[in-house]
Amino acid sequence: MLGWGDVAERLRRATVQVRAVGGGRGAGSGVVWDADGLIVTNAHVLRGPRLEVELWDGRTMLAAVVSRDARRDLAALRIGARDLEPAAAGDSDALRPGELVMAVGSPLGFAGALSTGTVHSAGDGWVRAAVRLAPGNSGGPLANARGQVVGINTAILNGLGLAVPSNTVRDFLVRGARPALGAVLEPVPLGLRILELDPGGAAERANLRAGDVLLTRREDLDAALDSGRGVLRLHFLRGDWRKVREAAVGLGGRAEAAA
Amino acid sequence: MANELAALSSELATAVEACGKYIVAVHARPRFSSSGVFWKPGVIVTAEHTIRQEEEITVTLPDGVTAPAALAGSDSGTDIAVLRVEGGTDAPPRAARIAPGHVALSIGRSQDSGVNAAMGIVSAVSGEWRTWRGGRLDQYIRLDLTLFPGSDGGLVVNTSGETIGIASSALSRIAGLAIPAANVDRVVEQILARGHVTRSYLGVGLQPVELPDHRKGLMVLSLEAGGPAAKAGLLLGDILTAVAGSPVSDTGEVQSALEGHAPGSAAEVGLVRGGEARTLTVVLGERRRG
Repeated sequence: MLGWGDVAERLRRATVQVRAVGGGRGAGSGVVWDADGLIVTNAHVLRGPRLEVELWDGRTMLAAVVSRDARRDLAALRIGARDLEPAAAGDSDALRPGELVMAVGSPLGFAGALSTGTVHSAGDGWVRAAVRLAPGNSGGPLANARGQVVGINTAILNGLGLAVPSNTVRDFLVRGARPALGAVLEPVPLGLRILELDPGGAAERANLRAGDVLLTRREDLDAALDSGRGVLRLHFLRGDWRKVREAAVGLGGRAEAAA
Repeated sequence: MANELAALSSELATAVEACGKYIVAVHARPRFSSSGVFWKPGVIVTAEHTIRQEEEITVTLPDGVTAPAALAGSDSGTDIAVLRVEGGTDAPPRAARIAPGHVALSIGRSQDSGVNAAMGIVSAVSGEWRTWRGGRLDQYIRLDLTLFPGSDGGLVVNTSGETIGIASSALSRIAGLAIPAANVDRVVEQILARGHVTRSYLGVGLQPVELPDHRKGLMVLSLEAGGPAAKAGLLLGDILTAVAGSPVSDTGEVQSALEGHAPGSAAEVGLVRGGEARTLTVVLGERRRG
């Protein structure tokens, strides 16, 4: 018979801390996905050019980013280890409201901290959990009562934990990152304003600049990015509000697969 | 890998699933919807404080359909509002016993997520309790359970899916409460019969005072012109010592004493005027709200 303690201990051994080499602004969490060093975490916890992962037993090693998907807030890392105890992945589509769940992470710097609660609701692309989380839980596992990972804890909204469903993680690992524009966007009345560009990203390569306003809605942009087209033609405004410009954005496609 | 935890988890999820057919989402305020519960066919109860508009209220039914709902009435004292819709089911089964330590699930619904749930325990149960909004609950059922913005007005059940009450975060500052089913029954009955909850009143403003013989009473500081007490001959400065046969020393006791006496009925009021004890008969008035 297994209780919270046993299930949590297994999960704790499959949870890592992810941080920039040289420390700095706090650590996120991650999940050991296979015995050969594949780590799944949130894209937003990857800060800085060099990353390190600390395992439950204190071993710390450098991590390489295999793939990242900013839109789904997922990243796959690889570390040089061959003897890890991976978490088992569960089926997030089978989750029912009221099911018991637990989260392990490093909230406020406490490594391996456990919080428990229930599935609040599932659907619309997120697993919502009535579980108390803190920023250091980001990238860490949300698991069901069998200890199977059903989500990656990603955000807190009105007190509820939001996790990327494990089935989305599987799709990301098998089919790779979805094409991204490589820009931080803000909704404005006319469309989406570019706040920031990822260096070397698709938007920057298409000569878009911060401050440009794309004449599209986020749903339409996402649909276009997922359409499989190699080049997107985006209408945008720059400075002169009467002159509509056009940019041709070349997308890499879903090239890189992590597993 | 069978384990006790998985069995409990499955039991909880099954209880939530079984209750889903009673739970609706209520759209009657900006930003967050709240939840509501079918109490009988065509009748939904929800938390009164989540109703911010009297018209154009809609509900998302268990089958996902959005339907218009009409506000039949509400009672802010007990934080209960009653809506009418087409269709629906009878109320969910009741818990026979509610005790501190029982596992409690709050079950709600939102349009996007469907049925939702959170778990905690019943942390305290006591007898009759007067809310700061002026209503009276048969039991004070305190929850150690996180009520999220959309959970108010939803159902609180035990692990068997039996009703503990209706979730409200507006009746206590320190915790969410479950409004007992018996109170919901009475409010629903009154609202369906009359459109509102009737509450008798005297039409006086009172201040607790101590009499020379150390008994306590309530001095009349204001008197509603033409109100029930004024018509009966009460005067400013009178000190009430009893209402409808019960001694009174604070306003809560006055309200309790008036409960069970319908508007229009006569109640004897004991008072001290100029040092002398007297009795007057007041024909109780009806206060519409609050």
